[in-house]
Amino acid sequence: MTNEKLQDLLDVNELRLTDDETVRMISLFQKMNGCEASLSDINTDNVDIMVHVQPLTNVLREDFRDQKFSRESLLEGAPEHTEDSWQVPILVK
Amino acid sequence: MKYYISEISAKGSVAVDDNILVKGTPASCGSRMLESFVPLFNAEAVDRLINAGYEISGKTNIGEFSLDLLGETSYFGECTENGNLVSAAASLVAKGDIDAAVNTDVSGYPRRAAAVSGIDFLKPTYGTVSRYGIVAAVCSAEQIGVSAKNAKKVKELISVIAGHDSKDGTSLPADSYSYELTSASGMKVCIIKELFDKASDDVKKSVSDYADKLRSVGVTVDEVSVPEVFAIHAAWNILLCAEFCNNVSRFDGVKYGYRSENYKNIDELYVNSRTEGFGFITKASVLYGSDVLSKGRYNDCYDKALRIRRVALNKMKELFASYNAVLTPVCSQKNYQPYEICDAFEKAYDENLFTAIPSITGLPAMVTKGVQLIADSFCDATLLSLADSVEETEVM
Repeated sequence: MTNEKLQDLLDVNELRLTDDETVRMISLFQKMNGCEASLSDINTDNVDIMVHVQPLTNVLREDFRDQKFSRESLLEGAPEHTEDSWQVPILVK
Repeated sequence: MKYYISEISAKGSVAVDDNILVKGTPASCGSRMLESFVPLFNAEAVDRLINAGYEISGKTNIGEFSLDLLGETSYFGECTENGNLVSAAASLVAKGDIDAAVNTDVSGYPRRAAAVSGIDFLKPTYGTVSRYGIVAAVCSAEQIGVSAKNAKKVKELISVIAGHDSKDGTSLPADSYSYELTSASGMKVCIIKELFDKASDDVKKSVSDYADKLRSVGVTVDEVSVPEVFAIHAAWNILLCAEFCNNVSRFDGVKYGYRSENYKNIDELYVNSRTEGFGFITKASVLYGSDVLSKGRYNDCYDKALRIRRVALNKMKELFASYNAVLTPVCSQKNYQPYEICDAFEKAYDENLFTAIPSITGLPAMVTKGVQLIADSFCDATLLSLADSVEETEVM
């Protein structure tokens, strides 16, 4: 892990680290990368991937309109909102 | 030291972790990001408990998104007793303040907590308890379970909360499951040598003592070698972080949760809200998860881990062809001392060695008397029966 690559990951994930945290994170990544060596202990050439532990199938329901929560109650949880919308800084001038 | 993040009823006998939703009561997940989040509905497990006549005592303190050892990364502070870390829910159960607690096992925290506090915890077979109304962190593995002082109480509560829920797409179809307790006599259990060898001497003694107790109730105990455990451990940490990274991308300071006061545009709103709202363990998990999903790393890490998940399940099924359950340590040590918060990711990563198999495979696991028992899917009753058989010998 390099400072440059870490910065890319931070940008992708909308995060920042302090200088101290950056040093810690790079050392952490070095350890994690070392642990990954054990992955090659298992030959998976003829093994299929297993995304989920249960055999999932699509769950379908009747197509109907269901407004479980009111707009007002959903807006109440927002850090900032107008009368009928979430409020964010101006995106386009 | 905060055991409850929100107290609901002094008469309540069952606590729920703070990542399980109770309508109108804050659900912080131990994170500043969700400090002010108040849900609009109950988790299915909470509804089932209330409908069955149980009263909820409150929301117990957990580590940030339940990723850590015992809740020590909570934004609200850690819980300690006699200088050692304890988890809030397990400690309340152990002290008799409540009869039971409902916890989300994301990566083993309630199992470690039960071992440290000397209580029982069952992580049931994945899909048998609805995940509707928990704050999703690692969807393919997290599962609601029950902590209580003994297997009989665990059985009582798991019987209430298990069963199909159409609101959870990963909920299995059976409406209910049998958790009937039977005699353990005649059962066969094996100890995984590689995990036993990695534990401290006092934990090894706990496992050996428990094996002797099992033998005293008629259980055969052997030792087996599963050298794959180290690759399974690495694979689990990859899947854990990859799924977690995607799940917490929704926390952006717009629709709910924490919003920084320091921003001039939408980009700064996102970045500053997430940077100030998340602790180090969350940031480390997100960054590692994002890395293993990135081009160039995906095939060697994430794809490989998904294949190892199948190998892990097949290996366990092989063992269950000969044994009713597997016995392992659940922690490397009997107690944990408080430590610097920036070490949390590394410490949790290391300890996941012992909890990884049930997490990555969805198999049921039970912690009792400081050790972990793992059984085949839908054999949760076997775990309860083994634990109960040993506990009964101590009552007599």
